[in-house]
Amino acid sequence: MPQKLSWSDRIGAGVFYHLPAIVSFILFFAAWEILVQWRDIPPIYLPAPSAILVTLWKMAADGSLFYHLGITLFRIFAGFIVAAVVGVGLGIWMGMSPMVARVLDPWIATLYPLPKISLIPLLIIWLGTGELYKISLSAFSAFLPILISSYSGIRQVDPDLLKTAADLGASRHQIQAKVVIPASVPAIVAGLQLGMGIAIILVVAAEMIGGSGQTGIGYLLISAGQVLETEKVFACLLVLAAAGAVITKGQDYISRKIAPWGFAT
Amino acid sequence: MDVIVREVAKVWNAGGRDQVAALAPVSHRFASGSFSCLLGPSGCGKSTLIRLVGGLESLSGGTIEIRDPVSCALQPVGKHSVMMWQGLNLFPWRTVIDNVAFGPEMEGVSRNERYAKAREVLAVTGLQAFAEHYPRQLSGGMRQRVALARALIMGRPILLMDEPFAALDAQTKIVMQIELLRIFEAARKTVLFVTHAIDEAILLGDEIVVMSARPGRIKEVIPVNLPRPRSLDVVKTPEFGRLFDHAFHLIREEVTRAMEQQMAESA
Ligand SMILES: Nc1ncnc2c1ncn2[C@@H]1O[C@H](COP(=O)(O)OP(=O)(O)OP(=O)(O)O)[C@@H](O)[C@H]1O
Ligand SMILES: [Mg+2]
Repeated sequence: MPQKLSWSDRIGAGVFYHLPAIVSFILFFAAWEILVQWRDIPPIYLPAPSAILVTLWKMAADGSLFYHLGITLFRIFAGFIVAAVVGVGLGIWMGMSPMVARVLDPWIATLYPLPKISLIPLLIIWLGTGELYKISLSAFSAFLPILISSYSGIRQVDPDLLKTAADLGASRHQIQAKVVIPASVPAIVAGLQLGMGIAIILVVAAEMIGGSGQTGIGYLLISAGQVLETEKVFACLLVLAAAGAVITKGQDYISRKIAPWGFAT
Repeated sequence: MDVIVREVAKVWNAGGRDQVAALAPVSHRFASGSFSCLLGPSGCGKSTLIRLVGGLESLSGGTIEIRDPVSCALQPVGKHSVMMWQGLNLFPWRTVIDNVAFGPEMEGVSRNERYAKAREVLAVTGLQAFAEHYPRQLSGGMRQRVALARALIMGRPILLMDEPFAALDAQTKIVMQIELLRIFEAARKTVLFVTHAIDEAILLGDEIVVMSARPGRIKEVIPVNLPRPRSLDVVKTPEFGRLFDHAFHLIREEVTRAMEQQMAESA
């Protein structure tokens, strides 16, 4: 039987593995700090990392950081979930039914290359600048890559696997449920990861452009930029990067749980 | 079950308007309970033939009859056979035991029952300890044994095996051959066994069907009259040496022809 590594061993190995990256982070921020202090660069252009941290701390202390971050995350997940349900559902349906695929293929081909940000004016005219606008923009943008990955995942199932299942007595229905769907899970999961990245981008963009609610990290970012509060701009960027990293890592983790066969162990 | 192949031909569509005649009309009766080894150069249509017998591809010509040897009743093609694929085709998202239990699961056998059955078959192939592993975590030889177990659990009277032991190391291969002999001698199935190894064909088979280069035809059927139960000792008998020489000469001609053919095609 294979050996299982203990937790402490794994964490130790993890730290060792990431050591070069950690060192590079430290060096980067140290160099930044030294440069700003030494050349006396005005904080409006480039605030020192220490000043950014202080701003971040203040934003956390007065609660504004978590309030806006929470709202942004809510919009991201709301858009993503709508996109995931509709995208995976339609993708599977297209994969199973050639007729549906024939109808939808040209629609996807025309809509996919359209930059989704270009829909902002239209969506604002129709939906105003409230929640519905931001969530539909991110949902619609994330939906297409999810749909396309699910569809191609279903279509690319190895035909020999279908024959194998039929040989072992599976009915058409069983082949779809027990072979076609599980075989396309890795492609579907990859599409969901792609969709999540796009949902993040478009929620922040929507908050920056025409957001009337004056909420969300995107709003915070653009309003700080307009009054040249550069520390706050950097603080927002830091928060966005961190939130994005956590979401991505979380997705990797969930993907491994859903499809353990698809990843090296 | 008797497998009667009459004038069976197969033309593959090889993309666009290109067509490949894989099998010239082939006729043969694979007798119930006998072990037939198919030998022939690469690309001569061995896989094609046994996939047709398994009802997994459509015929371009001829007929395939599956007959109950006692009642002589005609049986549907595909229903009484199970295939062990050259490419194995394990389901990568299923653990070993769920791969093996796939057939019973499709038949609606309860989880406990099918797992119990799968464990028995896994024990035969020596894989009990790996029941919870995924195929990608296994060695090539272990995967092959999973594929064998998944076919055996079906208990079907016709076993179609496409180079099942080709990727095994020499030692594991011998162990598996002996195991297969034991399984076959305990419950006589109609076995169609594709191989490139002449010694394997003689050790296992009741007959060796030698096929010619593409489009595949049957060049000669060599009966193997070595007594059963067989052990590895048969390789030391003079009869084994005689059969080997005979098969080798037939196959050498065909392999040379097939290689010339492929070279001419690529030129
Ligand atoms: N699905 C397919 N589509 C098109 N052509 C095919 C297909 N399967 C096989 N062929 C062609 O039919 C011919 C016979 O192939 P087959 O796989 O039956 O050979 P084989 O005797 O099993 O060879 P090998 O010993 O290498 O496994 C080959 O020329 C091959 O290219
Ligand atoms: Mg083959």
